[in-house]
Amino acid sequence: MSNKFKNKSKANIIEPKTKISWKEIKQQKVLLIWSAVIVVYGVIFYYLPLAGWLMAFQNYKPKDGLWHSQFIGFAKFQQLFSDITFIRTIRNTLAMGVINLIATFITAIVFAILLNEIASKGGKKVVQTISYLPHFLSWIIVTGILHDALSGSGIINEVLLKMNIIDQSINFFAHPGYFWPIVAFANVWKETGWNAIIYLAAITSIDPSLYEAASIDGAGRFAKIKYVTLPGIKPTIMILLLMNVGNVLNAGFEIQYLLGNGLVQSVSQTIDIYVLKWGISQSDYSIGTAAGIFKSLVSIVLIVIANQIAKRNGEERLF
Amino acid sequence: MKKKLVSMLLVSALAASALTGCGGSGQDNQTQSTDSSGVTGETAGDAGSSESTGGSGEVKEFTAFFATPGTEINDDNEIQQMIAEKTGAKCKETWLTGQSDSEAVGTLIASGEYPDFIEGGSGTLQLYEAGALVALDDYLDNYPNIKALFTEQQWDQLRQDDGKIYWIPQFSCIKNKESVCTHNDEAFWIQTRVLKWADYPEVKTMDQYFDLIEAYNEANPTMEDGTTNIPYTILCDDWRYFCLENAPQFLDGYPNDGSVIVDPETLKIVDYNTTPTAKRYFQKLNEEYKKGIVDPESFTQTYDEYIAKLSTGRVLGMIDQWWDFAYTAGDSIRQQGLDAQGCNYVPLPITIEEGLTNQWHNSGGVLNVSSGLAITVSCDDVEGALKFVDDLLSQDLHNLRFWGVEGVDYNVLDNGEFSRTPEQVTQSADAAYKASHLCTYSYFPQYSGMSDDGINANKPEGQPNEFYANLQADVKECFDAYGVQTYVEMIGTSEAPGAWYPMWSYSNTLTTSTPGGTAWNRMGEIKHEYLPKVVMASDFESGWSEYMDAYSSCNPQDFLDEMQAELDKRMEEAAKYN
Repeated sequence: MSNKFKNKSKANIIEPKTKISWKEIKQQKVLLIWSAVIVVYGVIFYYLPLAGWLMAFQNYKPKDGLWHSQFIGFAKFQQLFSDITFIRTIRNTLAMGVINLIATFITAIVFAILLNEIASKGGKKVVQTISYLPHFLSWIIVTGILHDALSGSGIINEVLLKMNIIDQSINFFAHPGYFWPIVAFANVWKETGWNAIIYLAAITSIDPSLYEAASIDGAGRFAKIKYVTLPGIKPTIMILLLMNVGNVLNAGFEIQYLLGNGLVQSVSQTIDIYVLKWGISQSDYSIGTAAGIFKSLVSIVLIVIANQIAKRNGEERLF
Repeated sequence: MKKKLVSMLLVSALAASALTGCGGSGQDNQTQSTDSSGVTGETAGDAGSSESTGGSGEVKEFTAFFATPGTEINDDNEIQQMIAEKTGAKCKETWLTGQSDSEAVGTLIASGEYPDFIEGGSGTLQLYEAGALVALDDYLDNYPNIKALFTEQQWDQLRQDDGKIYWIPQFSCIKNKESVCTHNDEAFWIQTRVLKWADYPEVKTMDQYFDLIEAYNEANPTMEDGTTNIPYTILCDDWRYFCLENAPQFLDGYPNDGSVIVDPETLKIVDYNTTPTAKRYFQKLNEEYKKGIVDPESFTQTYDEYIAKLSTGRVLGMIDQWWDFAYTAGDSIRQQGLDAQGCNYVPLPITIEEGLTNQWHNSGGVLNVSSGLAITVSCDDVEGALKFVDDLLSQDLHNLRFWGVEGVDYNVLDNGEFSRTPEQVTQSADAAYKASHLCTYSYFPQYSGMSDDGINANKPEGQPNEFYANLQADVKECFDAYGVQTYVEMIGTSEAPGAWYPMWSYSNTLTTSTPGGTAWNRMGEIKHEYLPKVVMASDFESGWSEYMDAYSSCNPQDFLDEMQAELDKRMEEAAKYN
């Protein structure tokens, strides 16, 4: 891209170069065909569905369809933001998103570094394999395990009782205060190993001579981590952080849906659950779409802000 | 530079995988779509085609989705094959898994693809509004069995605002004479061992009920194998929280209108959430919770956990609907032989004060006008589908559906009466046998009451002799002690309520498109959160007033007004036929 623009500025002087000649097209035929496929894919699956956003500005009825439903402007958005339940779901989504982001992010980096310090190759492989397996479990299984483990007669309560830390079993799912930490813990348990893979790969690509040089200079283990490993994986960290910031509002659906109950619903419901409950099950697809649009817009804003911050600090960035 | 490249590559790979999952709400739409994949018109490859008597030799396969939890039967189910041979059609049934009925229906509507048959539960009206259902008026006269299910008045009650009929309620037809042995509805249930221990006392009020459970639990804190008893548990999972919330209407002696009380004299709607009885009931639960009688996991357990708990025989009592636990936990108790310890449940005729007539059980069928079996616009052979339904209602096939195969699942006595041996009864409760052999098409229209032969009931549970003979030992002993023969006699029965009954068939269809519907949904949210809080509150009074504040902020009056309007409308309609 940038090359083309540079050429353009000189366009007046060297005229023929700027024109895309047939010869050039022929030369890049294969590349063009490949990229056309991707463009078509993107248009079909990412841009065409956006037409559905119209629903948010209509009083959408499935019988009338997108073409004949009545337009009502921003009424659905007004309804959304005057609904205390929705405001609460924004809070919950943001809170759980941020907590999850920080928790999974830090544990993955720490875990990758620790794993890297293991000298025994076999041990390292075993630990790595075991640790990323939970990633392949679906949430329904993970929440089932959690529900069992944290139930009144579950392993956690049994252990706490036997160790005399508590004298009566705790009903973890009855206290709103425990819900966010439980969700964060579940995310950490499920994703740490998987997320660590990318950092491990980044660490492997650090030039070993840097470590040797550091050793010669008298650096110990911690100094090497601090001065060689961490700076080495910093670009990876920054990029992943940026991308995950955009994902903060995707704090989850399954886990909250499956673990939530009436007692904790004021802290457990996320925007996605709101969409399901008040949009799909009430057949009010318009309000569901409006909530979805809001979520997408906030995500875009978040990612732009994060990117600007990264740019200003001269760090790795997305765009 | 190289390391940067590597990490960038990895990142983009991860991004690609992450982005595909970024559809947000759109992703939910995919979950249900597998259920609706039509296999209409497919020829069944196996048994059916070779020895079919159904004419062309081809078995037409329909699809059905029922928005209620259920168990799929095996594809090579034996009775299903027999039915297919006789009718030339079969139906692949799928059920709700995980979500609520309106969520499932909402996703189906969003996808626009439907199975041939559908029962939408509380999402039925949405299906109609989305134009997903086929109007049945022009067809009904050609199918005598279907037509005979209801009277003209009842068919008229099923008409929607465009004057047409779209669905057939499955469970509302009592054929010939009513014959009921099981109390299929809600009640305070108690294990027979508790009653036996107290020498079968009369238990009439809520206070007596809890006193009895308390006393028993103090004397017998464990089961025979040492498992601690759970004196009283409350199922509170999603829509099943009726086990917690709607008891006040029954305690005051009203029938199950479900969402409101209807005063039969003044024909006015009364809100049962705010009655003095409601407060007394929740206060009682609060006291029992503090005493440790109410299971502390009540409000966090899922339905599966609840059924698992009941299946162990540890739970002494609870409120529930018979159909919600009997076919799962009840069958499991039978399979494990826990009747020896008296772990089966019997219902008790409980009200708030002595002297009130209870209406936990009403005679007469309930015409649930809010949902039923419907045929969707995706069905390419409406007549074939209706013929299938009509065939299933013939007495022969109906017997095959609910009694099974003669000589295998039941025997015919010399006087023509059907009877089952204890082994046959146990077998019919076995999950694997149900999947491989029995096929009741349980959400297709069916009869209760007596068969055309005038001897037998349409379903085994309505056959008095056979019912009593196959009662489990502890239940029989209990019934004998009270001098009764059936569950219904145990709890007593009342005349069918007025023409409005039941009001829940209207409140089930409310959506947020009206103020009343919005209020109804908000009330549900608030009750889900605050009722458990009230029961668990350390100070009941402040807990209750907090709940009442939150409750009144939902504008319940909007809801009550719409219910009143519907009540008036129903009474007006009914008056036309008198």
